[in-house]
Amino acid sequence: MLFGRLVKAALGLFRSSLQIRALVYTLALAGSALILLGGVLSVSIGNGLFSTRTEHALEESQRAQNTIARVFRDVQVDSTWSINQAIKQVVPELESSGVTQTRTVVFLKSSNQPNASRLEDAQSENVDLNLIAKSFREDVHAKGGIQSQTVQVMRDGETVPAILTGQKITLPGGHDYQLYLIYDMANEQQTLGFVQRTLVVGGLVTLGIIGFFSFLVTSWLVRPVQEAAEASEIMASGDLSRRLPVRGTDVVAVLATSFNHMADSLQEKIKDLGDLSKMQQRFVSDVSHELRTPLTTMRLSADFLYTNRDSFADPSKRSVEILHDQMDRFDKLLADLLEISRYDAAGVKPEYEVHDLNGIVGTALASIQHFADSKGVYLDAHIPSGPVQCEVDVRRIDRILNNLLTNAIEHSEGNPVRIQVAQNQTAVAVSVMDNGIGMNQAELSQVFDRFWRADPSRKRTTGGTGLGLAISIEDALLHHGSLEVTAEPNLGACFRLTLPKRQDLTEFDSPLPLAVEKIKI
Amino acid sequence: MAKLLIVEDDDALREQLEIGLTASGYEVCFAATGTDAIPAFEKHQPDLVLLDLMLPGKNGIEICTELREFSGVPIIMLTARTDDSDMIRGLEAGADDYVTKPYKTEVLVSRIKARLRPIKAKATSHPIVNIGPVEMDTLSHEVRKGDQKISLTPLEFKLLLTLASHPNEVYTREMLLEQVWEYTYKADTRLVNVHVQRLRSKIEDDPENPKLVLTVRGWGYKAGPE
Repeated sequence: MLFGRLVKAALGLFRSSLQIRALVYTLALAGSALILLGGVLSVSIGNGLFSTRTEHALEESQRAQNTIARVFRDVQVDSTWSINQAIKQVVPELESSGVTQTRTVVFLKSSNQPNASRLEDAQSENVDLNLIAKSFREDVHAKGGIQSQTVQVMRDGETVPAILTGQKITLPGGHDYQLYLIYDMANEQQTLGFVQRTLVVGGLVTLGIIGFFSFLVTSWLVRPVQEAAEASEIMASGDLSRRLPVRGTDVVAVLATSFNHMADSLQEKIKDLGDLSKMQQRFVSDVSHELRTPLTTMRLSADFLYTNRDSFADPSKRSVEILHDQMDRFDKLLADLLEISRYDAAGVKPEYEVHDLNGIVGTALASIQHFADSKGVYLDAHIPSGPVQCEVDVRRIDRILNNLLTNAIEHSEGNPVRIQVAQNQTAVAVSVMDNGIGMNQAELSQVFDRFWRADPSRKRTTGGTGLGLAISIEDALLHHGSLEVTAEPNLGACFRLTLPKRQDLTEFDSPLPLAVEKIKI
Repeated sequence: MAKLLIVEDDDALREQLEIGLTASGYEVCFAATGTDAIPAFEKHQPDLVLLDLMLPGKNGIEICTELREFSGVPIIMLTARTDDSDMIRGLEAGADDYVTKPYKTEVLVSRIKARLRPIKAKATSHPIVNIGPVEMDTLSHEVRKGDQKISLTPLEFKLLLTLASHPNEVYTREMLLEQVWEYTYKADTRLVNVHVQRLRSKIEDDPENPKLVLTVRGWGYKAGPE
């Protein structure tokens, strides 16, 4: 478990840090190179040591013949006893005459000769005669000269490589003997071991040095990249005044320079856009004020005429009535247009307060009841008994509800409209469902578009502006909530408004389903 | 016949207002610029002022502030409401109510009527209503705190009287809009918030830490514990 977590952490670090990745790659490559180099060195040093030792062994074996000749110089040829005496001397003579290390000596008589049973063999102590294979003995007997072979011997409980040489010796009196000398290579093995240890230690130290320097170099190279990354993050989070220091004329300096250029032009563009937006806001504000005063006068004039409409003849009277109604429509349209342009100019400042959603819905239902009655639509409200507290700008939520309810009543074809309120830990929701003609997929996708109408051929009864849902969705988004819709042709539509309970809650699920069904009372 | 002062720079609107309001039974007089407003007020001594906010010379908010220095006359702002902050600043400067352009004659008239209606305490109650150290005389409309006389506008008097008549009873903003401002439809609850603040600044020892007009979070307001 812990190991797994460590691996995960290390992998994370590896992925997230450019510098660590560079360091790891450098160390891996340098390490491989060092291992290869060390291997080659170790093999060639080993070979060199071995071949030198073999050469020495052969030379010494050559000289052994002289030693034997010297030992047998004064021996009486016909006396088996004195020959045997001499044979006994051969082993200590040869053991001691080596230059470097002690040798092990085996002096064996060849089997196929007369008087063989009376002659003796001689050998150093603790020699394992099995080392000298039968085939090697036959080679030595048949080929003549000095034969050599690599064998393994035990030395102080450890196996070490050794060189075995064998040669045919003819003693005075014509006795055939075979001289075997075993040169162990414990010293060479030790030397090789030392060299290998030195190579490993040297390799590790070199790797450490390479790691240290590559860390220095990469951090020196990566730092400007890191600075650029930090600066771009700061810029992305809105601070456009951040710039990078430019040092020298290398590629990093080019990066910094072009980054700064980019930041400059971005800042300029955003300032331009900001100016444009301010200008637009100002324009909207000016236009609205300029429009409102004459509109007010017209409104008052129309009201006055309307109040006194009975004093007009019939066609004039009807005109006054039409004028009066259209003033209302014009009012609403202008108000909605101004509201949406305020959203476009990002000039909306919500005022949050904690409210009971049940209360807001109740008020909205009460104010729409008259309209529902006039359409013969039953409002089927399902409101939880406890308080449904949420942090909202109550005027905007009220506006959304009014919009959804008006739309539902208008499109319900006289069927009931169901209103549901619910809450969970993080969010509150209201859904408004009607059993009207519904909508198809193409219509659904346009329902929040400006000036879009569900059915252009339908008579406009309430004189909606066509901006209601477009404003509602802006209101919902302003609260960091959502306004969603689903519908089925000939079944009806369901709108669901979901709002976070507090404005600092960013993640939440709606406590109500988004689905259309047949309403049964 | 109640006399109205209309401060409005647009000639056509002024003329139409005169026609409409005269027909509704009011006597009207005018000021066409911001600078004329105070002299016109002093000359005509109107019962109510209709005040446009965007005026040449002196804007409506300054006029409002000046009027409040010496008069509690009901003031109704006529706002274009391109920006809510104008309306709020007008209320903070002492306007009692507002009407958003373009308004209907009936709305304007109902607002004027509400502000001109005399304030009556309940017939059965004692003429003196107390709220903490503050004493309200419902007949003379005098308000005293200890020895000190406090001057409240008629609207502030009505607001305090409404709350004080039922101590410790919570009034929602909507209830206050209905009972004090006489709104029969939904209106901006910030009207209540701003006027509660103004009222507190006149009667509380420490308006930041009110003892007489208390906020009930998530509900509304109530008169203090005594």
